[in-house]
Amino acid sequence: MEDLLQKAIAEASSMGATYVEARYHKNDYFTLRARNGNLIDSSREVEEGVGVRVLVDGSLGFASTSTLSIEGVLEAVRRAVAAAKRLSWLMKSPLRLGPGRTGRVKYEVPVAKSFENTPLDEKIGLFRELWNRGREVVKEASLKVMFNEYVESLEEKVILTSEGAYVRSTIPRLYFGYNMVISHPQKGVVQRWREFGGSGGFELVEKWRVVDTVVEEAGTLGRVILEARAPPSEPVEVLVGSEIVGLMAHESAGHPSEADRILGREAAQAGMSFIKKGMRGFKVGNENATVVDDPTIPGSYGFFLYDDEGVSARPKYLYREGEVYEHLHNRFTAAEYNTESNGSARAMNYASEPIIRMSNTYVTPGDYTFEELVEDIEYGVYIKSYMEWNIDDERWSQRYVGLEAYLIEKGELKGFVRNPVLELTTKTFYSSIVAKSKDLRFYAGTCGKGEPSQGVPVWFGGPDVKLSKIRLGVAPG
Amino acid sequence: MAALSGSELASRFVSKALEMGFSDVAVLVEDVSRVMVKFANSQPSVVQRWDTSVASLYLSKNRRLYTGSVVLDRLRDLDKLLHEISYVVDRVSESELYAPLPEPSRKAGGFSFVDTRVVESMKDPSRLAELVLEASAREHKVDFTAGKVDLWLRRKHLATSTGALLEEESTGVEVYVRSFKEDGSGQWGFSSRSLDEKKIEETALKASELAHESRGRSPVEPGVYDVILSPLVFSQLLNVVAWMSTGLSILTGTSIFTDKKPGEQVASTLLTVWDAPRDEKLPHSTGFDDEALETYNKPIIEKGVLKNILHNSKTAAKLNARPTGNAGWVAPRAWNLVIESGDYKFDELVSEVKRGVFITNNWYTRLQNYVEGVFSTIARDAIFLVESGRIVKPLERLRIADTLPNILKNVAGLTRDTYDVMWWEVRIPTRAPYALIRNVNITKHFA
Repeated sequence: MEDLLQKAIAEASSMGATYVEARYHKNDYFTLRARNGNLIDSSREVEEGVGVRVLVDGSLGFASTSTLSIEGVLEAVRRAVAAAKRLSWLMKSPLRLGPGRTGRVKYEVPVAKSFENTPLDEKIGLFRELWNRGREVVKEASLKVMFNEYVESLEEKVILTSEGAYVRSTIPRLYFGYNMVISHPQKGVVQRWREFGGSGGFELVEKWRVVDTVVEEAGTLGRVILEARAPPSEPVEVLVGSEIVGLMAHESAGHPSEADRILGREAAQAGMSFIKKGMRGFKVGNENATVVDDPTIPGSYGFFLYDDEGVSARPKYLYREGEVYEHLHNRFTAAEYNTESNGSARAMNYASEPIIRMSNTYVTPGDYTFEELVEDIEYGVYIKSYMEWNIDDERWSQRYVGLEAYLIEKGELKGFVRNPVLELTTKTFYSSIVAKSKDLRFYAGTCGKGEPSQGVPVWFGGPDVKLSKIRLGVAPG
Repeated sequence: MAALSGSELASRFVSKALEMGFSDVAVLVEDVSRVMVKFANSQPSVVQRWDTSVASLYLSKNRRLYTGSVVLDRLRDLDKLLHEISYVVDRVSESELYAPLPEPSRKAGGFSFVDTRVVESMKDPSRLAELVLEASAREHKVDFTAGKVDLWLRRKHLATSTGALLEEESTGVEVYVRSFKEDGSGQWGFSSRSLDEKKIEETALKASELAHESRGRSPVEPGVYDVILSPLVFSQLLNVVAWMSTGLSILTGTSIFTDKKPGEQVASTLLTVWDAPRDEKLPHSTGFDDEALETYNKPIIEKGVLKNILHNSKTAAKLNARPTGNAGWVAPRAWNLVIESGDYKFDELVSEVKRGVFITNNWYTRLQNYVEGVFSTIARDAIFLVESGRIVKPLERLRIADTLPNILKNVAGLTRDTYDVMWWEVRIPTRAPYALIRNVNITKHFA
């Protein structure tokens, strides 16, 4: 494969490309889907091909092919170069490449319990157990639907660039998602969609305590539908659970810190950012507002050590003690910022260009236990989980609708609150953090960006966070 | 030996799989050539070119289901691939959705929806990119423009164990543009089977016009408003509804139609929404589905009444219905959507509104609860306050936070003119009018 990619680079260079990146990329997914304990189907999807990106006369071209012969790959190279050349006359501001510490390296994620050596029965058995135990714990209301998706995958890449980068990587991952519908004839419906994900093997199922976690949650939501009351209408202290804090870190620190977004490259799709060029140091919150993106966390869903431009990856402070600190860069945005890439370029598959992406993004933890955070609240709301959320295309106005949420009175959890809405600006959130728990937890997701849209695995995380008094809304319905 | 074509490889795979004891087999080979110019800051940001040949596979044995996809070359090593599949199928449990592949009414032949101008433009899309950039800057001096021009040629070959061997060739175009001027921005989109430079030009002009008109935005107070939705916004919300109208959405608890039956009133009598695979102007039109059933146009909602749930043979069997030519082997889908037009001119629609909001674009629609349809979505780009039948002033971003059943029931007017749209947030090509929706809950951040 290395020979094939070297030939691609030589061909593009001979045609006038000043930068060439050739990537063999294979994603092998095995999926099982089930409804109410019964299997729907088994599925295996193998995406395999070569993607080539070239810079010609300041114009960027990308081509991919699923034909892995030398003819197929060279044809892709010629198309990428020709297309970039044809567009180059429209470039008012030719693209430039900044520096990046590229590597020559091979790495792979170890697996404790391989997917191949785990009997299919054991995997399928998870679905039956979830359904049977889930139905038992939901009393009075009923568990109507339990939809499950189990995906084991292997991502293999070989990346070569005309500047000497060589990165060969192998990353196995596991994903488990569920959609649970609990209904009651008079009380309506509550619904939960949740995902687990990480890099590694089948051992993750045990680590995540998938069955116990889902069953516990089913039991709780079976009570939420019966008992939850409207949230307080006056401003109250709010304890935001780590699951929501993690999502907020992703949405309102990670996305607005993507330098390509800031520079307008995604303007017609996912939008831009409230952060503009030159706003490093902008006060976005208080001293508790520190957010990190770190692709090097072992076992994480967003794990990688070198990005898809062959640049070494590292942790980055996106916000540090309330200030905008460092953006996510690839080599093209690094040139615009007169800095070096921090290794944030990722491509979903061989047919996708590498673009700036998050990896594992989290709010840093604090010093309190969860119990201490609750004890300090005279009257407030604890929002543990969510379903609906969104944020505007500049990543400023955000909304999260709680699912499992509790009233807090005199330092104790006192019953459930139904669909409380946290709808606030990014600055309000990061300026309102008064305390954080010491417990940093991560959650899995698939982040979408780019055109065509690319979904890449990420973690988002954080501690439980206490906010100063804020007004909550309530969802319609 | 000459290389086998996609159809030949697919047929050979089906025969061999039947020999090995599989009862139902289908192979869909798709050869796609696609060119996309993405632009930002009023210049190309990247030009992308794809040439892929992928085979999607469906097999069943003893009521056990397998689906998959591989690059076409892998079909050449039949024995290896089929043994890998057998290893899995022999070890998984029966599918609760199993149903035999249906008998196709038409077993051979082809369909063609090709515009050679699209194919020609794929060789050099720079002229279309230039047209978009020039038109964006023509009438309003915008600060910058972003968007894409996307052109494709797709050939699909379907072979099934029910004897079908069908082929189809089609082209497609998707263009959308977002322009920015001061604090204003505007976005518009267009899609078609064929190249229509005038429509592409209009898309760019419209985005710039909206950017120009939406400068100087004011905040809006949360509350209940009558809302006019542009074709982009109405399409986006109806895309969600169409996805919910499939049998699998109902079975997996992700549909507002979970407890509804065809024949029930679910929307305003003004609303009729078609799944329209035979509308040859819209770019996902197709003659046959993945189970080799001929497609046909059908209302999902007709005059407010739920008329059809979209099915493949499996969801149809499970829900005691008939397949509707919308397979997906596991998940049925809508092909194109056509929302029937109404009687209003746009100005007349505005004149119906005493106090309302006109929203031209939205994104990030998410649901708290799919069964009850509790959702919110963020309005972006040009948003206007409407008072006493007139558009008064541009507004800052806001949210619609309501339920989908309310939106469907409160449709109070539709324009005569419709637009064929697609963009990043509208993935099912949709022909839509402007829509007036009464009593919509509008929110914004509290703090």
